[in-house]
Amino acid sequence: MVQVTDNGGRPTANEAGALALRQIIGFTAFVLLLFVGVPLTLGRSPYFITVLTNAAVLSFISLGVWVTFSIGRMNLAQGAFALVGGYVTAILATRYGISFWICMPLSGLVSAGLGALIGWPVLRLKGVYFAMTTLSLTEAIRLLALNGGDVTKGATGIVNVPPPGAISILGLTVMPQFSSANPMPYYFLASAMLALGLIAVWRLSTSRLGWVFRSLRQNEDLATSIGINIAKYRVMAFSVCCFMAGIGGAFFVAFQQNIYPSTYTVADSVNFLLYCFLGGLDYLFGPVVGAFLLVISFELLHAVQDYQALIYGALMIFCMLWLPNGILSLGLRPLAERQSSKT
Amino acid sequence: MPILEIQGITKRYGGLTAVNNVSFSVEKGEIVAVIGPNGAGKSTLFKLISSFVAPTSGKVLYDGQTITGLPPHEVARRGVVRTFQETAIFKEMTALQNVIVAHQLLCRASSLGIYFGSPKARADEASFGDRATEILDYLGLGAVKRLQARNLPHGHLRALGIAIAMAAEPKLLLLDEPFAGMNLEETDTAVQMVRGIRDRGVTVVLVEHDMSAVMRISDKIVVLNFGLKIAEGAPAEIQRSDAVIEAYLGRADDELGH
Amino acid sequence: MQQVLVNGVVLAVNYALIALGITLIFSIMNILNFAHGQMFMIGGFVVYYLYGLFGVNYFVSLIGVVFVLGVIGWCFETFFFRRMRKIATREENSMLLAVGTALLLENLALSSFGEKQRGVPPVVSGVFKIGDAFLPAGRLLVMVLALVLIAGLLLFVQYTKLGRALRALAQDREVTYLMGVNVDRVAALGFALGAALAGLAGGLLMTVFGVNSGVGTVYSIKAFIMIMIGGAGVVPGAILGAVVLGFAEAIGYALLPGSITYLLIFIGLIVFLLFRPQGLMGKPWG
Repeated sequence: MVQVTDNGGRPTANEAGALALRQIIGFTAFVLLLFVGVPLTLGRSPYFITVLTNAAVLSFISLGVWVTFSIGRMNLAQGAFALVGGYVTAILATRYGISFWICMPLSGLVSAGLGALIGWPVLRLKGVYFAMTTLSLTEAIRLLALNGGDVTKGATGIVNVPPPGAISILGLTVMPQFSSANPMPYYFLASAMLALGLIAVWRLSTSRLGWVFRSLRQNEDLATSIGINIAKYRVMAFSVCCFMAGIGGAFFVAFQQNIYPSTYTVADSVNFLLYCFLGGLDYLFGPVVGAFLLVISFELLHAVQDYQALIYGALMIFCMLWLPNGILSLGLRPLAERQSSKT
Repeated sequence: MPILEIQGITKRYGGLTAVNNVSFSVEKGEIVAVIGPNGAGKSTLFKLISSFVAPTSGKVLYDGQTITGLPPHEVARRGVVRTFQETAIFKEMTALQNVIVAHQLLCRASSLGIYFGSPKARADEASFGDRATEILDYLGLGAVKRLQARNLPHGHLRALGIAIAMAAEPKLLLLDEPFAGMNLEETDTAVQMVRGIRDRGVTVVLVEHDMSAVMRISDKIVVLNFGLKIAEGAPAEIQRSDAVIEAYLGRADDELGH
Repeated sequence: MQQVLVNGVVLAVNYALIALGITLIFSIMNILNFAHGQMFMIGGFVVYYLYGLFGVNYFVSLIGVVFVLGVIGWCFETFFFRRMRKIATREENSMLLAVGTALLLENLALSSFGEKQRGVPPVVSGVFKIGDAFLPAGRLLVMVLALVLIAGLLLFVQYTKLGRALRALAQDREVTYLMGVNVDRVAALGFALGAALAGLAGGLLMTVFGVNSGVGTVYSIKAFIMIMIGGAGVVPGAILGAVVLGFAEAIGYALLPGSITYLLIFIGLIVFLLFRPQGLMGKPWG
C-alpha cells in the first residue's frame, strides 16, 4: 500500500530508497488492479463497474478533504463545491454545447476560485467553528441552486446532460464517444482521475508545500513567527480541495447526466469526511480505502440499504472509539515511529 | 540608526493597561534584556514588537521602518523573529524536520517550482538540510535530531525553539524566557549560546526572570513594572537602582537571582 | 409588521430553548452536539405518539419527552463521549463522534417513524388578536411554556447544587473534579439535560409545524447558526442568537419567497463571521 504519513519522511538514504520502492510497487499494483485487473474480472458486469466508478470518484473528491485536513481543518463543505462544479458543467454543456473535456477543468477552476474567495475569510476559523460554517455552506449552496431561477432551473434541476464526446487527433480516436449504455469508458476516466489525483496529492504532500501545510496544522503561531504566510497557504490547500470537488462534480454530472440541488447534501459532505477518517487520516490512501470499502459494502448489502445511515453512524462511532487512526493504522505503523525506535 | 525603536507603545485591554507608553531603542549587535515582576507586561511587549498583537497606540520601528500594523509573518520576513514562552515546536515532526521547515523564508523557488521540484527548489532543500544540521549541532541537539519533537526532554525543547527561530535567519531575535527551568549548568551553556548567536551578527532582545543570567549577558536592561518602564541602563546601574529594587521587593524574593 | 413581530417572538423563544440546550452541552463538555436537531425531532415524535396517537395529556407527553431524550443524552455521554475523552488521540475525533451520533439517531428515527410528515390536533384552540396581528392560542401556549422552561433552566443553573456543578464544570473541569464533584455523573446529567431541552423544543414546536424524520439536520443547522451569531458556550449568546434568528426568519418569510430567506441568512452569517468570528458575545480566541 502506498503510504505517506503525516509525521514521517526524511529517513536515511537506504530507508528512503526502500520506502520509495515500496511506494512505487504499491501504487503500480493499485493502478494495474484498476486498469487491468478489474476490467478483466468484472468487465462483463455493468453494475459492478458502475459501483467501482462511483467509488473511484468519491475517493477522488475525498482526497480533497484529506488535503484540507492536512492544514488542520475539518471540511464539511465539499458537497457544496462538488455541486458548484457539477452545475458549471451542466450549464455549459446543455446551454452552450461546450465539450465536456473543456467543461471539466473549468468546473475545477470555478470551484477552486469560489473556494479561494470564501476560504480567505472562513479559514480564519478553526475547529468546530470551521466545521459549523462549512456545514452551513453546503446548505447555502444547495439553497442557491434551488433559487437560481433560470440559471440553475431550481428544483427541476438540469437534465439530459450529454455524455462526453469523442476526441480525435489526426484521425485517431484518442477518446471514444461516451454513452449512457456503457459504463466502461466512464470507469477508465474515473480510474485515470483517481490515479492522477493520487500522484498529484502525493507530490503535494511530500514536497515542501506539504510540510508547510503540516506546520499549519501543528502550530499556526509558530509557523507565522518564522515567516510563513499562513493565510496564503491555507487558501492554497483549500483551493486544491475545492478544485478536486469541482472536477468530481463535473464527472458525476456527465455520468448521471443530470444534477439537482439535492445531488449533494450535508450527508454527502459528511460522507467525504467519513471516508478519510475510516481509512486513516495519516495515510494518503486513507480516503481511497474508506470510500471503496463503504461504497462497495453498501452495494453488496442491498438488503440493508434502508439502514445505510444507521450503519454509517454506528461505523463512525465504532471507528472513533476503537480505531481512531483508521483502518490503515492496523497494518501500517507511521514511518516516524519506526524511525525513532532506531535512534 | 538603532535596529529597533519602540516609540510610546501602549496596549490597553478594556480597563487594563498591559503596556503603558514604553519607549526604548536597541542598537545593532546588542543584547538587551527586558525584566520585571510577573504581570509587568513583558510578554505583551514581545507580542507587540513582533506584531502578534496590535498596539492601542505607539509605533515600533525596525531598521528605520515602521513595522507596526504589518502582519506577523511579514515582520518575520523582514528579520524579526520571536520565540514562545510555552515551548512551540511542530510536535509530529522530528527535530531536523522542524528546523528544515523553518527555512521557509529562505526559499528562492516559487510554490510552483517547489511543487514540480525545479532545480532551484532542489538546491534549496539540499542547502536547508545542511544548514539545519549545522544549527542543531551548534545548539547541542545533533544527537537527537531524528527524534520526534514531542519526545524530546524539556531542556531540548527550548533549544529546538531557538533552532527553529535561527533557521529563519533573523537579524533581530526575540527570546521569550530562554533560560526558564534550567539549572546552573544548563543556564551557563545557554548563556554561551546566546552570546554565540550575537557574535553571528544577530541582535538579541530577551525577556527573562533569571537575574544572574540577565546580569551576565546583557549590554542593556529595560525594567518594566505594571506596564511602565521604570528603568533602563547597564546591568550595574540597574542593580543599584532604587526603583527597581522597590519593584522587586514588593514581590516574592525568589525573583532575584538563583 | 406587527404580525412579523409576533411571529418573531414565538420563534425566538422556542429557538432559545434549542440554543440553550446545545450551549449547555458545549460549555460543559466542549462538544458540539451534532445530533441536537435529531434530538429535537425525536422530541416531536414522542409527542406525536403519546399525545397524538395514544391521547395522553399533552403536558404528560412533554414529561415523556424529557424522559426519552434524557436517557438518550445520558447514554451518549456515558457510553460514547466519556470513552472518547479517555482515548483522546486528536480533538477532531470528538467532533466526528458527534456527527456519528447524529447519523445514528437520524436513521433510527427514519426506520422507526417512517418518512411521513406528522401532525397533532391542537392543544388549545382559539385565536388572540394583538393589535393587527393574529396569535393562535396554540402558539401562545407554546411560547409561554418555552418561557417557563427557560426561566426554570436559568434558575436551576443558578441556584441548585447540580446547576452550580454544571457551571463549575463549564469553567474548569479539573478544579471541579478536585473539589470532589463526581464529574462523570454531572457531565452525563448535563448532556441529558441538554438533550431534553432539544426534545422539549421539538415537542413544543411540533404542535405548530408538525414533524418529520428529515427535520433533524435543519434544526441542527439552526442551532449552529444561533451559537455562531451569539457566541458559543455562553448563555446570553444563546439567547441573543435565538432572538436574531427568530426575527430574521419571521421577517424573511414575510417578505421573501420560499427558501431565499435562508440563503440570505447564510450569506449574512458568513459576512458577519468575517468581522466577528467569535459571535456577538463569544470570547475572542486565537
